[in-house]
Amino acid sequence: MLLELTNVEVVYSDVILVLKGVNLSVAEGHIVALLGANGAGKTTTLKAISGLLRSEDGEVTSGSIQFQGVPIHTEEPQNLVRRGLVQVVEGRRILPHMTVEQNLLVGSKVLKDRAERRQVLDKVYGYFPKLVNLRARVSGYLSGGEQQMLVIGRALMARPRLILLDEPSLGLAPMIVTEIFELVESLRRQEGIAFLVVEQNANVALAVADHGYVMENGRIVLYGTGPELRENEDIKEFYLGMSISGHGKSFKDVKHYKRRKRWLG
Amino acid sequence: MTSLLSQVANGALTGLLYALVAMSFVIIYRSARVFNFAQGEIVVVGAFLVWTLMSAFDLPVWAAVPLALLASVLLGVLIERVILRSLVGEELFAFVMVTIGLLIFIRGVVLVAWGPEVRFFPAVLPMAAVKVGALVFDRAMVIGGALTLVVAAAMSWFFNRTQLGLEMTAVAEDHQTALSLGIPVTRSIAVAWGISGLLSTVAAIIFLNGKGMTFLASDIGFAALPVALLAGLESIGGVVLGGLIVGIALGLASYFLDPIFNGGVAAVFPFVIMVIVLLIRPTGLFGWKTIERI
Repeated sequence: MLLELTNVEVVYSDVILVLKGVNLSVAEGHIVALLGANGAGKTTTLKAISGLLRSEDGEVTSGSIQFQGVPIHTEEPQNLVRRGLVQVVEGRRILPHMTVEQNLLVGSKVLKDRAERRQVLDKVYGYFPKLVNLRARVSGYLSGGEQQMLVIGRALMARPRLILLDEPSLGLAPMIVTEIFELVESLRRQEGIAFLVVEQNANVALAVADHGYVMENGRIVLYGTGPELRENEDIKEFYLGMSISGHGKSFKDVKHYKRRKRWLG
Repeated sequence: MTSLLSQVANGALTGLLYALVAMSFVIIYRSARVFNFAQGEIVVVGAFLVWTLMSAFDLPVWAAVPLALLASVLLGVLIERVILRSLVGEELFAFVMVTIGLLIFIRGVVLVAWGPEVRFFPAVLPMAAVKVGALVFDRAMVIGGALTLVVAAAMSWFFNRTQLGLEMTAVAEDHQTALSLGIPVTRSIAVAWGISGLLSTVAAIIFLNGKGMTFLASDIGFAALPVALLAGLESIGGVVLGGLIVGIALGLASYFLDPIFNGGVAAVFPFVIMVIVLLIRPTGLFGWKTIERI
């Protein structure tokens, strides 16, 4: 396994238990979707993996996180990037006052020299031809879709094996969302990069995912392959907004109290 | 007429010196997002380091100055390590209070270590005046002005073109994003404090060359404040322009206004500019504006 979480517990500020024993794994070159409602602990899971948790007073208190077979839950983020694990933080966190190319170059911290940086830069421009014309533009003025491309491109600059992608669809038009997930799929196919994607948009995420996990209240409550989850009655009802018959749901019929989420029972 | 020209030209040189000190503010602010009120005190410590090595230990210039520069780099890194690192993630207010505390603390240490008496700062740079036509300049200030321009160009290049500089700029933008890209944030901040300490001591040498000094020389830190704010706290190139504007305004003020008010206006004038800048354009001339897309 490329990434393996076993019984991971995370506590914020020494008191708030957010993850209550999460088990999750990502195989080499796979796309894995992590779904769940707001506050379920999805982002915390990603931050626990990437080591960003500690900058927010969070801590992995038990369980283990292994990347390529090596325990990493005490590792500094910079060493994880060096090993090939990059997180794309939620909310398109570009460096707004720097140009597109400067943004990309900042991401290449772990590369050896100028020549290697140039080479990877050209490759990234190959995946995002739109960014070529924008290379000298101050990134704060790009459109939302372009910014999302930029942060993914910036993550690619570190030549990662695994990208943790936090809500790439946030606030973007459906067409752009489709475009981004097609890109994720082609990066997996051509570069063999694995993705762990946190998404609210279950439909589009499960369309490309090999596997998916559903989180609720700091626990994994459901696991399956992409197609399995898409056929699951509960997923259909609660995440895809369809009635049991499989057709679009009318708001007239919404009665959540009738059907409980079974995994909570 | 010559007198006006002389005031303006000397004002511009003073402005460039302020710009050098302002640069040491800006470099820290750019990476750590800390506004270091104690910058003037660090200049004084740098000055006393040079004085101690040259006057008390009788070291030659070529040994004393590099040693003092090295020590001031270490001082910057030490302050970051010991005091500011433990504050990472705290509120802005905590940082403001800590750097003000640092100001008081260093001033106390300087008084205990070197005492309040006037010392003669050794002439590191040549003392002979520079004459251009009818204008007379302090040679140290002329060298300093040129040095400021060179340093500013070098720093601009460093922060915009080199990998380490870009990474430090990224740290200035957002600590967490920088962290997620594998940039060692604390190390970047330590580098910034080191560079800043170095520039402070260079400024001290230019400022005090061959003059008498006491611990009160730290006032230069406050004199540089309007320059940093006028330029905008993130812009290195802007600091040079800000320094020139403030310096020339200072020269004009001392020529035109001092006779009317019986002197003293020139000392206050930069702060008048500062207040006006803060009212009209809080991000300064070249600072990072909050980018909002509509």
